[in-house]
Amino acid sequence: MIKTDNYREGLPLYVIYPGEHFFTDQRCYVNTVSGSCLVLCLYDPHLKIGGMGHFIVPGTLGTEGIYADEIAEHGIYNIELLVADFVKRGGDRRSLKAKIFGAGYVVGGAVSGVVNSNIRFIHEYLQREAIELMAEDLGGNFRRYLLFKPHTGEAFRKTLINNDSNSEFVKLEKEYIDSAFRNKEIKTNYLLFE
Amino acid sequence: MKTILVIDDSPTIRASVEFAVKPIGMDVKQAENGKKGLEVFSSLNSSGAELGLVIVDVNMPEMDGITFIKEFRKSDKFTPVLVLTTESEEDKIKEGKCVGASGWMIKPFKPADLVAVVEKLVR
Repeated sequence: MIKTDNYREGLPLYVIYPGEHFFTDQRCYVNTVSGSCLVLCLYDPHLKIGGMGHFIVPGTLGTEGIYADEIAEHGIYNIELLVADFVKRGGDRRSLKAKIFGAGYVVGGAVSGVVNSNIRFIHEYLQREAIELMAEDLGGNFRRYLLFKPHTGEAFRKTLINNDSNSEFVKLEKEYIDSAFRNKEIKTNYLLFE
Repeated sequence: MKTILVIDDSPTIRASVEFAVKPIGMDVKQAENGKKGLEVFSSLNSSGAELGLVIVDVNMPEMDGITFIKEFRKSDKFTPVLVLTTESEEDKIKEGKCVGASGWMIKPFKPADLVAVVEKLVR
């Protein structure tokens, strides 16, 4: 994540990269570029707090619900990290609103079965958690440039039809997706006390 | 049949835990925060159910997991409590141990690992 001061309206801009999440109670802009990954923008309109997660579920889901699917644990975990920040600031997941983007069928991205699973995952997750879906723009064979204002919930999306395959985001997303697939076997960390 | 009380504000996590432990023959009761967890614990006590384990998250609205354990330990000193959370900071883990947690598991979890820990704790 990198920060630039005085981006627009005197507000800072935070740029988040594939695999990262960012939460804030400050007035600011948050930006990312997504190819095959999901981008989840969450906000609480009453507390005026919000955040963004950029991640992928590294595999294809089975036929049962996401609660019964080991591969879905990765997506659930990524969202849990973001939601935990809301709860620490006095938020409640039942008050959250969501805008979802990404999961594009792009050259150099994930295969279509994985992209389809990611779309299914995010819909099922939000439905199970009763998080209201305010806007979505998923699929398509293009990348997306995204700008989000966490304190208002406003999100802006630009499609990148002629996206440069050598751009920094394209390279970083490919590296992130490769790494997520290499490390998809979950290693549970636990400690039992005396 | 022993009962496991699962306390987490995420319905998906509660369902995941229930799905993982059902095959080992445990009855599962769910609650969405620490306060509701204490209410379910109280009703289990009244009905004479045998509570074998509590699995509790840390960050929840209304009553967090650490406060829940403090309150729970006032009435039950022996039933094991497993914390299941994204929190991995050493200080938080120490705090959990101090208030009476029996173990600390960091999300994400592999269902088979959860079952192994549950079987260790519920004897």
